[in-house]
Amino acid sequence: MKDIFFDLSVRSVRLNFLRSLLASIGIVIGVVAISSMGMLGANMQLSVKEQLSSNVNTVMISSDVVRTTTTAGTPITSSGITKTQLSEIKSASGSNIVVPLHRTSTQFTIGSTDGRGSIYGMDPNDIPKFLTIEVGDNIRGANDAIVGSTIATNFDLKIGSRIKIGPKDEPSRPVVRVSGILTARGFASDGVNTDNAIIVPDDWYTDHYGDKDLYDQVNVIVKNVDTISDVEAAIDDKVNRKSDVVRIQDASSRLTSITATLGTITTFILAIGGISLVVAAVSIFNVMMMSVNERVQEIGILLSIGTEKGEIRRMFLYEAFILGVIGAGVGGICSLVIGYSVVSAMIGNTAYFFLPDSIMYVPYGMIIGIVVCVVSGLYPAWKASNMDPIDALRSE
Amino acid sequence: MDDTALIRLTDVSKVYPLESGDFTALDHVSLDIRESEFVAVMGPSGSGKSTLMNHLGILDVPTTGELFIQGRNVAAMTNLERTHMRRDIIGYIFQKFYLIPLLSAYENVEYPLILKYKQRDTSGKAAAVLKSVGFDDNMSAHRPNQLSGGQQQRVAIARALVNDPKILLCDEPTGNLDRKTGLQIMDILVDLQSKGKTVILVTHDPKIAEYAHRIIELEDGRIVES
Repeated sequence: MKDIFFDLSVRSVRLNFLRSLLASIGIVIGVVAISSMGMLGANMQLSVKEQLSSNVNTVMISSDVVRTTTTAGTPITSSGITKTQLSEIKSASGSNIVVPLHRTSTQFTIGSTDGRGSIYGMDPNDIPKFLTIEVGDNIRGANDAIVGSTIATNFDLKIGSRIKIGPKDEPSRPVVRVSGILTARGFASDGVNTDNAIIVPDDWYTDHYGDKDLYDQVNVIVKNVDTISDVEAAIDDKVNRKSDVVRIQDASSRLTSITATLGTITTFILAIGGISLVVAAVSIFNVMMMSVNERVQEIGILLSIGTEKGEIRRMFLYEAFILGVIGAGVGGICSLVIGYSVVSAMIGNTAYFFLPDSIMYVPYGMIIGIVVCVVSGLYPAWKASNMDPIDALRSE
Repeated sequence: MDDTALIRLTDVSKVYPLESGDFTALDHVSLDIRESEFVAVMGPSGSGKSTLMNHLGILDVPTTGELFIQGRNVAAMTNLERTHMRRDIIGYIFQKFYLIPLLSAYENVEYPLILKYKQRDTSGKAAAVLKSVGFDDNMSAHRPNQLSGGQQQRVAIARALVNDPKILLCDEPTGNLDRKTGLQIMDILVDLQSKGKTVILVTHDPKIAEYAHRIIELEDGRIVES
C-alpha cells in the first residue's frame, strides 16, 4: 500500500522543488566530502599496506640514542649503530642476512641540472640481496653508483652517466658513474627508499661523509619469515640487554604504526567532511521549519479531522527522509566520480578504488547523509505534531 | 436532562487566561443534544459559538463542568482517544472548506477512510459519497484550488460524511457561498439529518437557522434562548 503520508511528503517536496533542491545540495556536498575523503584515506592505507607487505621478512634496526663526543674541544653529536652493536646483531641473527647501511640526503648535479635525493652507502655485495638491478650491473669500481628509477627517469640517466655529488657551490665535487638502475620500489617497508636515491659503496660514502664506525640502519633479512619474532627477540636480548640503545622494527609493526597514522588522518579528514554535513543539517532544519510554518493551517485541518500526532510526525520525517535520499543519491553518484578523480590525482593509483574497503565509504556517506536529514527533521516534525489544532486552523 | 442525549454539556465553562485578565468564552453552559437533531447555534461575534463548536468537536476541553459525547466524558479521555473520536463519530464542515491543498478532491474524501482503516479505499466508498453530495465525477482528480466554492464545500461535506459519523458540525457552511449554492448545501444537510445524522450548525443567517429544529442563542458565553 502506498502510504498517504509519504504521498503528501512527496507532493510537498515537489511543490517546493527549488527550495528542496537547494537544501539537498548541502547533503550532496556533505556526502561527497565524507565519501571522497574516506575513499582517499582508504586508498592511501591500501596502497601503503600493499607496498609494505612486500618486505615482511625484514627487521629494521636503528639507533635509539644520540652520542656526544668531543673533537678538538668541539662537542659533536652523532647517532647510529656502532661496529660493536653490528657485531652483536650479526651474532644474534645467526645465518640470516645482515645489511648495514649509511644514509643521508644530498644535492647533486647531472649535466647542468641540479637535484636532491637520498644517498645510501652500503657494501656492494649486499645490494643484490634485497635490491633488483633492472638495467646495468652492480657496483664494481670505487666511484660506481646505482641509481633509483625516479632519478633515472627524471634525469634521463643511462649507464655511464656521471653525477656530481654535493652542493653546487662546493669548489670540487666528487663524481660517481652510473653502473646500474634499480627497479621501482615505491614506499618500502624496510626503510630503504631507493627510487629517488643514489647508492654508492660504503667506503666512498664514509670517505666523503665520515662516521666510518656508525651505521644509520641495519637490516636483517630473515630467511624463514616465521622466525622473525625470535630473531627480533634475540637481537633485543643481545644489544639492548642493559638499556634500549637500538630500535627494532619489522614491517608488520611499521605497517601497524603507519596504517594507524593514516587511519587518524582519514578520521580527521572525514571530520572535516563532516562539518559540511553539519552545515547541510542546518539547511535541512531550516527548510523543514519553513515547511512546517507554511503548512500550519494544513496541519490544523489534518489534526481536526482525526489525524494522529504520530502520523503528522511521520509525514514530516518522510519529507526530511526524501530530501536525504535525493541528496544522498546524487551525492553517492558524484562521490564515485569525484572520489575516483581525487584518488587518481593524489595517489596516482586507482587499483584499490573499487575494493570494498574503499568503495564502502559511498554507502557509508549516503547513510550518514540520510540520517543527518532525518535527525534534522525531528524537531520540526515534533513541533508540527504538537500544534494546537484550533490555533493552527485560525492561522492564515 | 434527557438520558438519551448524544451530547451533554453540564455547567461547562471555558476560561482563557489573558494578560489583561481572564476571558470567559463559555459561562456555565448546560445543554443536551439528542441523536438526529438539527440544531442551529446563533449569536453575535464573540458570543462563544466557535468555542462551543470546538468543544463539541473535541478540539478543546472545558475549564470546568463536564462534556459527554456518546456517554463518554471528554476530559477523561486520552489525547489519542479524542483523536479517534474526532475521526470516527464527528464530521466537520467549515466555512472556509479547509480541504487539504496537496490532495485531489477524491483523495480529500478518501483521507479519513485511510486514517480509520490504515489503507487505501478499494471499496469505492469515497467515490460513492462524493457522488451522493452531487459532486461531478470528472472533477475528482482536481486539486481544491481548481474547484469553485460550491464544489469545494461538497467535497468538504463528502469528507465529513465518509466515515459515517453520528455528528455533523457545520461552522457557517454557507458563509462563503452564493445564495443558490448555499441553499443546495442546506438541502444536503437537511437530507443527511433526515437519514439520522445529528447536525449542529453555526450561522449568523436567520434564514439558514430556520432549517434547524432548535435554535440556541448564545450571548457572552451564555445560552440566552434554546
